[in-house]
Amino acid sequence: MAVMTYIDAINSALREEMARDPSVFLIGEDIGKMGGAFRATKGLLEEFGEERVIDSPLAEGVIVSSSIGAAMAGMRPVPEIQFVDFITPAMDAITQQAAKLRYRSAGTQTCPLTVRVCYGGSVGGGLYHSQSNTSWFIHCPGLVVVAPSRPYDAKGLLKAAIRDDNPVMFFEHKKLYRSMKEEVPETDYTVPLMKAAIAREGKDITAISYGYTLQLTLQAAEQMRQKHGVEVEVIDLRTLAPLDTDTFLESVAKTSRAVVIHEDNRTLGIGAEVAATIAEQAFDCLDAPILRVTSPDVPLLPAAAELEKFCTVSADKIVAALERSLAY
Amino acid sequence: MATTFEPAVLTRDTEMELLPAEPDGALYRRLYSYMLKCRMVEERIRVLYRQGRFAGNYFAAVGQEATEVGVTLDLLAEDTIAPSHRNFVTHIMKGTPLPLMFAQIYGRKTSPDQGRSAPAHCGYAPLNVITPSSTIAAQLNIGTGIALAYKMQRRRNVVVALSGEGSTSLGFWHEAVNFAGVRRLPILFVVENNGYAESVPVALQTAVSDISVKAAAYGIPGISVDGNDVVAVYAAAREAIDRARNGEGATLLECKTYRWYGHSEIDPAKYRDPAEVEFWKSRDPIPAMERRMESVDLWTSQWKKELEAEFNREIDEAIAFADNSPQPEGDEALDQVYSFSIRERELERKTWEPRFAGRLAK
Ligand SMILES: Cc1ncc(C[n+]2csc(CCOP(=O)(O)OP(=O)(O)O)c2C)c(N)n1
Ligand SMILES: [Mg+2]
Repeated sequence: MAVMTYIDAINSALREEMARDPSVFLIGEDIGKMGGAFRATKGLLEEFGEERVIDSPLAEGVIVSSSIGAAMAGMRPVPEIQFVDFITPAMDAITQQAAKLRYRSAGTQTCPLTVRVCYGGSVGGGLYHSQSNTSWFIHCPGLVVVAPSRPYDAKGLLKAAIRDDNPVMFFEHKKLYRSMKEEVPETDYTVPLMKAAIAREGKDITAISYGYTLQLTLQAAEQMRQKHGVEVEVIDLRTLAPLDTDTFLESVAKTSRAVVIHEDNRTLGIGAEVAATIAEQAFDCLDAPILRVTSPDVPLLPAAAELEKFCTVSADKIVAALERSLAY
Repeated sequence: MATTFEPAVLTRDTEMELLPAEPDGALYRRLYSYMLKCRMVEERIRVLYRQGRFAGNYFAAVGQEATEVGVTLDLLAEDTIAPSHRNFVTHIMKGTPLPLMFAQIYGRKTSPDQGRSAPAHCGYAPLNVITPSSTIAAQLNIGTGIALAYKMQRRRNVVVALSGEGSTSLGFWHEAVNFAGVRRLPILFVVENNGYAESVPVALQTAVSDISVKAAAYGIPGISVDGNDVVAVYAAAREAIDRARNGEGATLLECKTYRWYGHSEIDPAKYRDPAEVEFWKSRDPIPAMERRMESVDLWTSQWKKELEAEFNREIDEAIAFADNSPQPEGDEALDQVYSFSIRERELERKTWEPRFAGRLAK
């Protein structure tokens, strides 16, 4: 065990997977000498050489599409998209090529690649360094979309993603990179994809989130205990697509109340899918309307501190929603 | 495709001699007979379409056979073809069985894609033909990635990536060629300049008259050839492929040719001057090769008749196979979205009952 930040955990997963499997290679902007915009690939060029840590041209389209081809030819590419805000040039590669290759070839051609994407706000990044955009990919069958909330999961899920035979979109929240530390094994382990986790057990109300807002949800749960003696069950979705619905449905059947929290825009965010699933499959379990705590439907995130604060999810906003649900 | 770092077993000798100055009889016969076969297959597909024997559409490369054949003949099984919608017949040179090609056109269960993709948008994994999407130019970038893998795996294999002149206007095209230049990848980019992208003439696509000049911007050789001269196309492609195989990087090859029919079977191509079409039909690559071969006693009309009889028999058999192949079952639409099944998720959505005793008492 070692105490690691989220970024350490990512780095450690990449190093271990590259050492384990010679077909794993990295490609992206500034990932070589510089070790990545956030230093996720620090030291890997020195350890594995230029052929396996490729500083690409400034072209997201070819970063992902060349990874698709390489994966078809037996490699395990891990392309990096510096900011999800700049993923749009790679949208065709991801949504039309990678996501559908297995389907349109009836399983005869596949591209196991893991696209690492840095996302999220609350760092004063402004409109083009703060977006989440997970919904774009959740809406695209054929992709596995993963968004870990803590260092332990970041390492275990990244290793699982690299070994998985499907194209995986791996969302890393920039605010998590250095804001928390925890014990992470230095030995080999994986965390299963497509499996949510109960991040905190409780019996009174279910709060469902992922990524950075999962940490805020845990803070809100603690406040609820101290303020009201309420036990909030916190579900960490971990994989956003395909969604593990059983874990949160099981929880709602126990608590009868649900609040969904995410940083993406409200409309058609994962909260909409979670709420619809609960309404369809657990309607009789509910004692209160399902509530959502999300960013508003505006471009995310305006730069000025007050504007940003207004838009982003906070522990206080989550507490308010939990209280509203309980008061219903 | 296997994960392996061993050198691939090459099915044919990779030492490609430069074309001899004297006509190479065996080569000329192969170039000619493949062109004839491509023509016959596509003309038959067009008839089947008009007869309503299959749904969707088709994108014939009739008139462009010299290019289709010249750039893909003599590839190794382990080499990759990255085709566009226009290059269905390149399967023939790669060796994809004709019955599977017709099953694909017919959308049958026996097709390599089991009825998923539109006609002609078909790959063949055993011989490394990439399944093309419809997004113009996307196959080039994927092909570039395969070339990257070949290089990393120390394999002496190459990628031939085909696209039309219209594709050269897209950002993807430039990203692919640039990347291949930067990393000296074993890939041949073939731009089939057939004058039109659907209805849009090449003059509205680019301000240059030779698309091959674009290669200079990416530090790779660029060549333009008469795309209706199969020997010229083959020679240029051969040289580029040999260079790629020997680790000398990518080449851009523009083949100037012409699409005889509309963009697809539903396009009457009214936007073209009939005189222009007639001019290009007079430059039909097949009779041109016949004349060339006849002058050195390599071609007779009797031989052509024999070839036609043989190809017709093959095509008839392939169509019979497609006709007798089952349609996929409707619920097979749920398969191969992921490496795991989603059937249960889609078909068996269960309902949850309240389990909180305290709540029921409330
Ligand atoms: C990105 C994209 N835009 C538009 C289309 C619609 N479309 C299909 S083929 C085509 C023309 C392609 O022209 P060209 O690249 O010259 O190839 P050709 O059909 O002449 O072989 C267009 C516009 C598409 N499939 N993909
Ligand atoms: Mg064209």
